[in-house]
Amino acid sequence: MKDLFLLLTIISLFSFSACGNLEKEIDLELPAYENQYVVECYLEPGQPFTLLLTQSFAYFDPFPTELQEFVENLLVDSATVVISHNGADYALNNQLFPNFETGKIYNYYNPELVPQDYDNDFSLKITLPNGKTITATTRLLPVVPIDSVVVQFSEIEDTLARVLTYMTDDPATENYYRRMLHENSLDSLPQQDFMTFDDFVDDNRIVFGSAFDFVEGDTVYNTIFNIERAYFDYWESVINAVNANGNPFAQPTAIISNVQGDANALGIFTGISYDRDTTIITK
Amino acid sequence: MNHKTTPLLALLIFCASNLLLGQQITISGTVKDESSGETLIGATIIETNSGTGTSTNEYGFYSLTLPQGNDSLTVEFSYVGFQTQRQRFLPKKDTKLNVKLGTGIQLEEVVVKANSYQEQIRSTEMSVEEISTREVKVIPALLGETDILKTIQLKPGIPSGSEGTTGLYVRGGGGDQNLIVLDEAVVYNANHLFGFFSTFNTDAIKDLKLYKGGFPAQYGGRLSSVIDVRMKEGNNQRFAGTGGIGLITSRLTLEGPIQKDKSSFIVSGRRTYADLITRQVNKANEDKEDYNPIPDYYFYDLNTKVNFTLGEKDHLYLSGYFGRDVFGFNSDFFDFNFYWGNVTGTARWNHVFSPKLFANTTYTYSKYSYNIETKVTGFSFKVGSDVQDNNLKTDFYYALNNHHTMRFGLNATYHNFGVGRLKAGSDDGEISFSSGSDYAGASLGAYVADEASFGAHWKLNYGLRVSGFSNDGKFYAGLEPRLAALYNVNPDLSFKASYARMYQYLHLVATSGISLPTDIWYPSTSQIEPQRSDQVAVGIEKLFGGKYMVTNEYYVKWLNKQVDFVDGARLFANEDLEEEFAIGKGYGYGMELGIEKQEGKLKGWIGYTLALVKRGKFEPVDPSRNFSDADTYFFPRYDRRHDVSVVAMYDVGKRWTFSATVVYGSGDRTWMPVGRYTFQDVYGGDPQEFVPVFGERNAVRLPYFFRSDAAIVYRFFPKWGESDLTFSVFNLTNRRNAFFLYIEPQYEDEDEPLENPIAIPTGLKLKQVSLFPIIGSITFNFKF
Repeated sequence: MKDLFLLLTIISLFSFSACGNLEKEIDLELPAYENQYVVECYLEPGQPFTLLLTQSFAYFDPFPTELQEFVENLLVDSATVVISHNGADYALNNQLFPNFETGKIYNYYNPELVPQDYDNDFSLKITLPNGKTITATTRLLPVVPIDSVVVQFSEIEDTLARVLTYMTDDPATENYYRRMLHENSLDSLPQQDFMTFDDFVDDNRIVFGSAFDFVEGDTVYNTIFNIERAYFDYWESVINAVNANGNPFAQPTAIISNVQGDANALGIFTGISYDRDTTIITK
Repeated sequence: MNHKTTPLLALLIFCASNLLLGQQITISGTVKDESSGETLIGATIIETNSGTGTSTNEYGFYSLTLPQGNDSLTVEFSYVGFQTQRQRFLPKKDTKLNVKLGTGIQLEEVVVKANSYQEQIRSTEMSVEEISTREVKVIPALLGETDILKTIQLKPGIPSGSEGTTGLYVRGGGGDQNLIVLDEAVVYNANHLFGFFSTFNTDAIKDLKLYKGGFPAQYGGRLSSVIDVRMKEGNNQRFAGTGGIGLITSRLTLEGPIQKDKSSFIVSGRRTYADLITRQVNKANEDKEDYNPIPDYYFYDLNTKVNFTLGEKDHLYLSGYFGRDVFGFNSDFFDFNFYWGNVTGTARWNHVFSPKLFANTTYTYSKYSYNIETKVTGFSFKVGSDVQDNNLKTDFYYALNNHHTMRFGLNATYHNFGVGRLKAGSDDGEISFSSGSDYAGASLGAYVADEASFGAHWKLNYGLRVSGFSNDGKFYAGLEPRLAALYNVNPDLSFKASYARMYQYLHLVATSGISLPTDIWYPSTSQIEPQRSDQVAVGIEKLFGGKYMVTNEYYVKWLNKQVDFVDGARLFANEDLEEEFAIGKGYGYGMELGIEKQEGKLKGWIGYTLALVKRGKFEPVDPSRNFSDADTYFFPRYDRRHDVSVVAMYDVGKRWTFSATVVYGSGDRTWMPVGRYTFQDVYGGDPQEFVPVFGERNAVRLPYFFRSDAAIVYRFFPKWGESDLTFSVFNLTNRRNAFFLYIEPQYEDEDEPLENPIAIPTGLKLKQVSLFPIIGSITFNFKF
């Protein structure tokens, strides 16, 4: 955001002199790239085991134009996927599992429910059709509750309100959080979605604020995820990599995955725990 | 041999050699500009009979030792653009000759320049580029805003960073490895507006000297270059003024004697004024509902200097610089203020102990800081960082005899660093966040160097600098040998070689190729060791026809303990910055060729550089962090294989000067994605259709860089003084040079991705963004 602002400042400062288009299409040969496997697996206590195994492509590889072909091209089938926990092995079958509630699709699935155990590791092993393996380990984290959500109307423009979301941090441990703010629907793009950690917190109180963007009757969804460092690193690296395209101020970055093994895969295997508050704006 | 006796023996031989030289006398003094009283740096002094010569040092002082005799000798004083003066004197005793050179009618320009070129050929100094503000003012500039740091980039071996910016990447060194000093005070961030303008107001600057290698022992602290910028002293003959009105800034400089011939002052200011216009635009539109106000932005510089002659032997200079960039954005709900800038102060005392011994003692103060303050109802957020130096140094210049000239000195700097200071919270105090660390460090330096001549052809400048740095209980020391050798074949040809080791104890925290105000300096600590470089250079200097100076140099440079940052480094407002560092190595080599002509109607130079630089083997300080391509060497962004610049200035009578520059360079390198994948994310998140997988660092080279600029200066001579109109055209051919690249998905229908979150693109296109099309500008300048 800061970088974009700098870029805009520079471009707007010089645009008065601009004649003609300062943007053009060019051809440039990129170094060769070998496709990689990509894992996305979130363990949520009380929910079935699901995993998405896809592959990456060279940047300028052509796209199949039909959705079905596009999806088939993306998904990697015929792998053996096992999640182990406390001596039990949960085999995930290669089957499409569309979650209609969340709109997410997974291609490996086991209907058993993820046990709520914060003390023991979950480990993942994927054996690919070519014999190579992907492994990863994670542990679930407990929910950090939202203490309160306060609605404040502006003194200048009294029809506009903001929302302050308070929570309590445990000062004894290093904690990472993901914060989301949605207006009216969780299916919409989040108004705020970022990860942070408790480094700057002087005592144990944390507040997340919003702009004066809401009016009476709006529904505001506040979500706080308690996340592990590996997920923080992965998600930040994904967002940084996305932002580095088109931003000369941003440093390109490698994807920091927590999956290992000789398949040289990318991806994340982590637990999900969150608290979500739904507030309707009223005076 | 008993090793303890070795130094003693050497000293005895050294003393004996002095006795064998016979009786000598010394002439000494200063060389100044007659019309303004400004000292002339690098003026040539030659005894015409023997050809023995020297040049004035950075304070305008010279000392020349000659054999005693009964026949009178003639000494010639010359400086480019000034009339040569000859003085006869009887070499019976030490003589003081203070000389003032006038511009007058320049009949002997060829001789003058030949003298100064021959002095350069006779000097052990190599890998040096100089530029005066006289040249800077007629060379075309972006938006007509002349800039000494950008003009010096046209010399060989000094590639720029992004187009139009002041970044310097000297002989494969990083943008953070340049020591920039203004009147001996360090300027930590010599940039305004992301480096599109430098902090140096051309009207207040006398000249700039840049060392790319062969560093003299008095300099230390950065690996790749020393950029020594001198402020004007002020006219001690009459009250005078200069100024100008341009597209971006207006400038005014006033100078004059406090006491004629003895003391003078100069005050110089410049300010941008786009904000005065944007404020009116905002005011006119404030009632419109959909109007987004334009943020306020301006910068200004203020330079001041006074100097006093205190009797025959003492001179005192006091100078200061203050500059600020201010960015503000304020609305009913939101106040955002961001300001940054440098402060420097210098107090300098020159003392002539004897015709052979000259001393300069300096106190300097430097500070760079930035502050960001944001206020929204009920909450405030402040973040800032700074670096502050108090420095005391003394330098001696001792002309022992006509075979030995020594320099020695000491300096001590106390640094204060405020890193990642953050204070945020609610007005009621219920919520508070803070971070920040303060460090204090001390740098020490001591050096001695001797320039010795052996016979008519050989000269050796050998020296040693001892440097040290202390921070947080950790002390580092470094020995920095410096060596320069000269073989002078004849007055027009010499061969040179040099070696220099440099240590750098402070590190710039920046990942972007563009200078940002939030780039801060961080001291060496127990985990971050000082950077080190070793450079060997050899070169030939040849003067053709007394007019064309050709220099050809070859260098190899090894870099150690180089600083870079881990993937996804958090450099802003982070008090644990150390964990973001990665430490590695580097090397570079290259060839530079320059042809220069500085007299006559047509002046200018052609420079060509062939270079290669690699960095690599980076290890994160925090082992849990990641650094891509850690095991290999990779090209940095500024690895530029070929770089050509041509600068020409042509005078037609007194009124017209035409100038043109042409620059060609291999494209910068860039780090591009080679792969992509789709990231679904958890429920509520924003899925990413194309997550770029970045390949090897900087493996892709951008298209080549080309730009040609031209300027015309037309002068008027009204009764009150002189004025000119400078018309300049930047990027004459309107070429689109790449600023950066990005990849854009293409859809059959442009609105499709907005309507359908899983829209499939038909393809991806690589787009190049440029900053500058052809830009014309006009500047009005005056002086009285």
